[in-house]
Amino acid sequence: MRATLVIIAGLAGLAAPAWAEPSGRVVGTVTVTESDGKPASTADVIVYMVGFVEPAGDQVTKIEQNDRKFVPDLVAITVNERVSFPNNDQFLHNVFSQSGTRKFDLGSFKHGEAKDRLFPEAGVVDVYCNIHPEMAATILVLPNRRHTRADAKGRFVLDGVPPGDWTVFAYTRRATKPTSAKVTVNAGADTTVDLAIVRGAEPAHLNKYGERYHNGGQVYR
Amino acid sequence: MRIALASLVVACFLPRTADAGRSFYGWLYGTEVMPERGVELQTWILDENNKYATHTQESSIWWGPLIGITDKLELVLPIEMEWTRSDVEKGSFTFKRFGLEARYRLVSQDPVDAPAFAPLVRVAVKRDVIARDDVRVEADAVGSYEVGSVHALIDVGFISDIQSGTQHSELRPGGGVSVRVTDGLRVGAEVYSELSLDSKGESWAVVGPDVAWTHGRFWLSGALGIGIYHVKVAPRVMWGIAF
Repeated sequence: MRATLVIIAGLAGLAAPAWAEPSGRVVGTVTVTESDGKPASTADVIVYMVGFVEPAGDQVTKIEQNDRKFVPDLVAITVNERVSFPNNDQFLHNVFSQSGTRKFDLGSFKHGEAKDRLFPEAGVVDVYCNIHPEMAATILVLPNRRHTRADAKGRFVLDGVPPGDWTVFAYTRRATKPTSAKVTVNAGADTTVDLAIVRGAEPAHLNKYGERYHNGGQVYR
Repeated sequence: MRIALASLVVACFLPRTADAGRSFYGWLYGTEVMPERGVELQTWILDENNKYATHTQESSIWWGPLIGITDKLELVLPIEMEWTRSDVEKGSFTFKRFGLEARYRLVSQDPVDAPAFAPLVRVAVKRDVIARDDVRVEADAVGSYEVGSVHALIDVGFISDIQSGTQHSELRPGGGVSVRVTDGLRVGAEVYSELSLDSKGESWAVVGPDVAWTHGRFWLSGALGIGIYHVKVAPRVMWGIAF
């Protein structure tokens, strides 16, 4: 909870608009380790900047439902962008969120159908399926478009960053605490920063009525 | 700066709309509908005490499953039971009528995509169980407006009892205001009336406080209608459980 608060505080840092000056880049590497200290075999990591705002783009980000999984299970969008949830499975899903940043309930919809939602506030939105408790995804709703996905080796490049003193964050699902670093970006130059994330177990969640799931004798909470 | 940041954090956690109740009112239809393929069992219990010069007492039970057909349309299969007694009539309890009802919300049910004003239309056709030729047709035009924690609603209802060779119609206007106290609790006040449009019936009206409460899949709302015209008191409680 505390980690989420700090992340949201970071996302809410809407200090200054982006300006049309020569920009710089922030480059670096993110390493992800499990809570037992072992390196994570695979990790989907989003790296993003806060401290300035940019308008939303036109694109609609997709989170597909494939084989009882959200794919991808971590996306970053800019405030006032939409996310679409196509159901590619042959059975019903009921996508919902009870996150304070954005509550929604898409109802149950079948194969081939898609529903979308607008995200007008910055924050972290946890998305689940009310039918399949193993399905979980996270949407980072960010104040600007300076966000990227680290590659398989953890490397990232954030370009088009306005000069100034900003904070860069790295986030992966199941992160035990937010990871960030202060950076100074100069026009036409690269700023290098390396970040490390510790990843824990999948956080507990309840269904859309605030109750425990009961599925095949296994209780999810 | 820290205070501003903390305020933003708090603001992020404020719900955009309250969760209390499918209807925030007791005597009025709401503008909320089930999400697609959602199912809810809904029950009402209502009393109308000391109506008219004949001191008519009525208690009714309404029960029905609601099914979300789409995100805007829901169907209801209601059954109604009624107990009545008056100065000129002995007490009797009966399974009164059953039927089919549709409620259509004209705008998105999503709190972000929906405009502040949300209209809903409702139509129902019900058949009397005992008087088997009697049919009741009901219609409502409902509009709600929400700003911050305040929700206002107007419901203009119409019913017509069509019997062989005769007909009785009523206008049933009402309105209310509901204020969010916590995420799950609302309080407010409402006015409701049933106005006969012909000489075959009488009219009555109430005004009073209401409350709505939500807990998980369960919601409850109710109003204590205090008589202002041809009725003494008319409480009504509704609740639902979603699946």
